[in-house]
Amino acid sequence: MCASSRSSNVLSKFQIPPFPSPPISPDLAYPASLTILSKQNPDWEVEPFDFLINGELVRMSLENFLLAKGISAETILEIEYIRAVVPRKEEEPSLHDDWVSAVDGSSPRFFLTGCYDGLGRVWKAAGVCTHILEGHSEPVSSVSIINPEGADSVTVATASKDRTLRLWKFNAEDTRRNPLKISAFKILRGHRASVQSVAAQTSGNMICSGSWDCTINLWQTNDPVSEGDTVSTKKRKTTGHAKESQSEGEAVSSLVGHTQCVSSVKWPERETIYSASWDHSIRRWNAETGKDSLNIFCGKALNCLDIGGESSALVAAGGSDPILKIWDPRKPGTSAPVYQFSSHTSWVTACKWHEKSWFHLISASHDGKVMLWDLRTAWPLFVIDAHKDKALCADWWRGDTVLSGGADSKLCMTSGASVL
Amino acid sequence: MFEVQPYVDWFKWDDSKHPLSNAPEPKRRFIPSKSESKLVNKIKLAIRKGLIKPKKPKEEEEEEESVYPLWGDDSNSAGKNDHLSYIPAPKPKLPGHEESFNPSLEYIPTQEEINSYQLMYEEDRPKFIPKRFTSMRSIPAYENAVKECFERCLDLYLCPRVRKKRLNIDPESLKPKLPNRNDLKPYPVSCYLEYRGHGDAVTSISVEASGQWIASGSLDGTVRIWGVETGRCLKHWKIGEAVKYVSWNPNPEHSILAVSTGQDVLLLNTGRGNEEVQKSTKELLSVEMPMPDDSGKTASSVSWLQDDQLEGIRLRHSKTVTSVEWHRKGDYLSTVMPADILFAHIYTYFYIIYYFKHDTDGFRAIFIHKLSKKFTQTLSFKLQGPAVTSVFHPTRSFFFISTKKIIRVYDLVKEGKLVKKLETALREISSIAVHPSGDHIIVGSGEGKLCWFDMDLSSKPYKTLKLHQKDINNVSFHRSYPLFATCSDDCTAYVFHGMVYSDLNQNPLIVPLEILRGHSSTNGRGVMDCKFHPRQPWLFTAGADSVVRLYCH
Repeated sequence: MCASSRSSNVLSKFQIPPFPSPPISPDLAYPASLTILSKQNPDWEVEPFDFLINGELVRMSLENFLLAKGISAETILEIEYIRAVVPRKEEEPSLHDDWVSAVDGSSPRFFLTGCYDGLGRVWKAAGVCTHILEGHSEPVSSVSIINPEGADSVTVATASKDRTLRLWKFNAEDTRRNPLKISAFKILRGHRASVQSVAAQTSGNMICSGSWDCTINLWQTNDPVSEGDTVSTKKRKTTGHAKESQSEGEAVSSLVGHTQCVSSVKWPERETIYSASWDHSIRRWNAETGKDSLNIFCGKALNCLDIGGESSALVAAGGSDPILKIWDPRKPGTSAPVYQFSSHTSWVTACKWHEKSWFHLISASHDGKVMLWDLRTAWPLFVIDAHKDKALCADWWRGDTVLSGGADSKLCMTSGASVL
Repeated sequence: MFEVQPYVDWFKWDDSKHPLSNAPEPKRRFIPSKSESKLVNKIKLAIRKGLIKPKKPKEEEEEEESVYPLWGDDSNSAGKNDHLSYIPAPKPKLPGHEESFNPSLEYIPTQEEINSYQLMYEEDRPKFIPKRFTSMRSIPAYENAVKECFERCLDLYLCPRVRKKRLNIDPESLKPKLPNRNDLKPYPVSCYLEYRGHGDAVTSISVEASGQWIASGSLDGTVRIWGVETGRCLKHWKIGEAVKYVSWNPNPEHSILAVSTGQDVLLLNTGRGNEEVQKSTKELLSVEMPMPDDSGKTASSVSWLQDDQLEGIRLRHSKTVTSVEWHRKGDYLSTVMPADILFAHIYTYFYIIYYFKHDTDGFRAIFIHKLSKKFTQTLSFKLQGPAVTSVFHPTRSFFFISTKKIIRVYDLVKEGKLVKKLETALREISSIAVHPSGDHIIVGSGEGKLCWFDMDLSSKPYKTLKLHQKDINNVSFHRSYPLFATCSDDCTAYVFHGMVYSDLNQNPLIVPLEILRGHSSTNGRGVMDCKFHPRQPWLFTAGADSVVRLYCH
């Protein structure tokens, strides 16, 4: 028996976890001392556990598991005990005026949502809205926090179907009863069709955006002085009515190569941009040279993309079919996905790796469900069925909370799903 | 009594020592005959000239015939002869113990068994029931002897044995060899998205050129624009009259939607696209002044009016318009007014007047409008019957007009010269679609049949497929994938692989792929329209159950 480091001081009793209920067979042996401990103090809480054999979660009785894997019953099994990832609490949904199209929870202090009414919203907690980002004339399609770890002043970017991106600055610390309406300090024009996705560089100096005009544009976020000069006089005339505080920016460079709508972009490293497109491909771009170094063809139109997992190298993507696929671009010469998760029943609209964990990711789908996946099992760890309509976006917040927004104008929060 | 005279043999049995004549042998007998040598010479010359061909010696055949299997099976050797041959009778079963006159007791059926034979059908009864006789003397005469003799004679007379020629062919090999469906992926398979919001049957849909939006028109008098990937209704117009047809302008520089409702064709600004597109669209969609009537015939039948409420142009026709089709460049659009069957049924009086008028100034059923100049042109083709639909050729200046049975192809540049006439042999054409190459046409008909025309091949259909139980409402080609689809009132849509080869010798390959179900029948109507996504192998279907569905691969 090899218990994980955490289970050394576990003072808990085993029970069948309430969620997808792996039926633990009675012939699963565990130390007798643990049972004695559990009887000693009635105040100790019940803690569900999951069991790992050979790096795979046991989702059936031990006997069936051995039969399914073809393991001889004579061998000594090493069973690892880990705390089961189970959501503890479903918090009040944060109500929006329209469909919630995007959510970003990369900052522990707040999270940001984009909505089909053209507004972005900043939330301190469930139902506590502190700022409203006002300015887009059409639905916001994607949001991104540019410097999540920064000081009081935070910069965020929003992309909209009105073909612009906007940058906003606000003080994350101020708390007030009524949400403060703020306007963008910079408007980024340049896309010829609606912008679908925005992602920020890790340093926060640049952002990239994917659009329906098949291009990925790169933009500078801070140096307002030089940007103001580059705006052409013609542009200024047309936007003369804009506030003085609003400057306009133009794309630094444009990555051309996709033949259809670029539906999702990610900028996980300083030099590397990943993009997923409706032309059935995932590409990796070098941000400096603007050349694509990798092209994964997957056969379906893609809607979402995220980079994470083992050493932040795995590519998860979902699209116009119910299957969430994960590729390992380090494996040369293959475009076959290494993992496929297919419990959804409709298009996958969002997928997001956990920041710290190698194994956990969430996905949202048009069937209204948000699922948490563990790479070590083919079944979802849990299913959040809180949305009455399509789920459009999902993200982690503070490492243990799952945020998901949908076409029922709600942002659902499920907290306590501690992964580590 | 008389005495028998002894026989006297008068004939001399041994040869006479001297012949009757002692004359010497004539010389003639030693000289070759002249007449014979003449004959031989003649034959010799004839052989040399090749007039006579000597017979080949038939050594092999003689040898074969000389040896033949006497005890071999008759049936095999008889096959070689082409003359009437002997057909051996089937070998009868050899008699066994039960047919003996005194069989063992176990062969004799009991009385119960004999009674049970009586309950059986006559064909199932055993032909022979064993009986026991103590001696040969007590065996009676065979009771069926006369009957069987008669039947045998009848057989010989009426149905002699005939050698049946049976073809030994595997029925599977006769099926046409179609490629596996899995090799022809991708094609639409399952429905993942539904676009809900209309209050009545959706009659027509149209996909924007980039594939980001679709427009749908419904009998509830609204036109809606939907975002394809989310299923969100982005915009809707209340037109007030049942919408028959919607068609998105194929030019991405204009965001114009043509809508046919009642007698009007509306050109609406969809509000999609960037500022430049919006600017050019607004310029296009403004009519400076209502066209004066002095421009002649064209203005009297179609008038261009500004519609301030819907922010578009209203093209008022004299009769109801059923279909609107854009030219590929997005500047021309054609509208079809089928002959007024309504008139014919309701006001017989007007009907006569109408046809009288028609005879005088030509059959005005099809108009071509030029958007940039706000000009309408009448096409005075002589169609025998009312026009049903019209389509522009995707690459050339051809124009397809279909009446109920015949499709005519005109060249618009050469002043409307008839190029081709396609005879469908269908009862009622409901819809046509042109392959993106322009050389192939599919035609859907009211009786559920689909015709594929190869324009280069002939004016007869290359293939006619009986598909649907009910009327085909629409047919559609994919712009880039080799796919086409039909949709019908039986609530299904069929997806086909339709591969067209650039090699002229190779016929198009048509493979049925999938039957798409999901719509429910409403008022006897099923799927009203189907359109492919321009870039993805996806199919949109509009149902009479007021839902638009998207089938993905």
